[in-house]
Amino acid sequence: MNWMKEAWEVTRSMGQSMSVVFRNFLRKPTTISYPYVKRELPDRQRATFALLVDKETGEEKCTACLICQNICPSQVISMVKEQKNNRGFAKEFTLDLGGCIFCELCVQACPQDAITMIKLWENSQIDREKLVLKKEALLANQKYQSSEIIGSKIRDMQAPPKAPPKPAE
Amino acid sequence: MTDLIFSLAILAGILVVVMYLTLLERKFASRLQSRIGPQRVGWPFGYLQPVADALKLLVKEDVIPSVADPKVFNLAPIVVLLPVLLVFAVIPYGEDFVLADLNIGVLYILAISSLTLIGIFMAAWSSKNKYAVLSGMRAVNQMISYEVPLVLACLVPVILAGSMNLTDIVAFQNKVWFIFYPVLGQLSFLVFLISALAEANRMPFDITEAESELVAGFMVEYSGMKFAFFYLAEYAHLLAVSFVAAILFFGGWGGPILPSGVWLASKVLFLFLFILWIRWSLVRVRLDQILAFSWKVLFPLSLVTLLLAGIWKVW
Repeated sequence: MNWMKEAWEVTRSMGQSMSVVFRNFLRKPTTISYPYVKRELPDRQRATFALLVDKETGEEKCTACLICQNICPSQVISMVKEQKNNRGFAKEFTLDLGGCIFCELCVQACPQDAITMIKLWENSQIDREKLVLKKEALLANQKYQSSEIIGSKIRDMQAPPKAPPKPAE
Repeated sequence: MTDLIFSLAILAGILVVVMYLTLLERKFASRLQSRIGPQRVGWPFGYLQPVADALKLLVKEDVIPSVADPKVFNLAPIVVLLPVLLVFAVIPYGEDFVLADLNIGVLYILAISSLTLIGIFMAAWSSKNKYAVLSGMRAVNQMISYEVPLVLACLVPVILAGSMNLTDIVAFQNKVWFIFYPVLGQLSFLVFLISALAEANRMPFDITEAESELVAGFMVEYSGMKFAFFYLAEYAHLLAVSFVAAILFFGGWGGPILPSGVWLASKVLFLFLFILWIRWSLVRVRLDQILAFSWKVLFPLSLVTLLLAGIWKVW
């Protein structure tokens, strides 16, 4: 009766796979027709960068401390420092998106919360030069939706702040 | 003269239908995999996609390998397509709507549709390609083994109706379709369907063009319009199988209220979709398994159905 068992097994597995496929047919297609419908991006989407401006004083947050330039693994950030009003300013700030590996290390390292990643993700260009973001473009990127991650926030997530010490009795 | 116009109209109609069957397969397959399928060319259902495909294949470069035998190589696609198209000459599309009402319709269909094998082997042999030759040998193996059960399964309706004429067979099923004959109908339809799928080189028996092992099998060296001929032949064969199955087992154009052509078309569409469903759910079978299944299971089974049909007829 070995062949009967085998025949039953074959029939059963065939029926199983056909029923799975048919259940797929009844489902709604999961395709998102991209240029017409855009999918919702995750909160921490890493796409392109923006330099932030302090909302109260209206000054650029970046002090040109060179930390992001030094930590960048692919060395795509470069800046020229300028001293003004007792603090540093980035006179020039370039970020080559073409070489960027989107590791977010510059955002994590920034002590001034000056650089952030935004959700503007359709970045393909025909000309490679257009991928090199200058300071003006980075500042202008502020108006897009941020991925809500800035340096201090991400450092808190990685090492939660210690509870304030108990007041001495 | 009217016959000529009629046959040309049927030929053109079949070719257009076959073109759109490729779109139907793509749409249906994508729904089975919860995708949408072709959509952009001819918004919103992709109804211009077959036209775009045909145009693309027409303007492609026609490559003939330098080692190939050019005469046979060029002749093979025509030899594959022609017999399949000839099958449609005898099929009754509705009441009093048949091009050639042959007395030996079933025999004619069986004889002429197995001629495609010669075309396939010509294509495989003249390409002088290892994959093509392997695939050609597989095709011969498979066709020879499945021809026998196919013929025997087709004989069951012939015996019951007492005629080889397709119109007579349909007329005989006017009360009860052959598929509803207890045990006999279902068994013979099962044998017919399996061996017809193997004849059409269709999943799960598509070892001749097994994409993952033989690239594209016998048509690996073909490009452009010749490649399209093979594809047309494949889908036309599938359509022919659906037609023959609908006529032999599902009562042809018979059915209440609606006009006869609509009944036949809906049965054919149903069978075609069923074949597609099988294709997209089952996996490919090995060559030795295919041959063993044919000779050890299908052949005895078809003999049993033949015996049952004889007993039914006499009793």
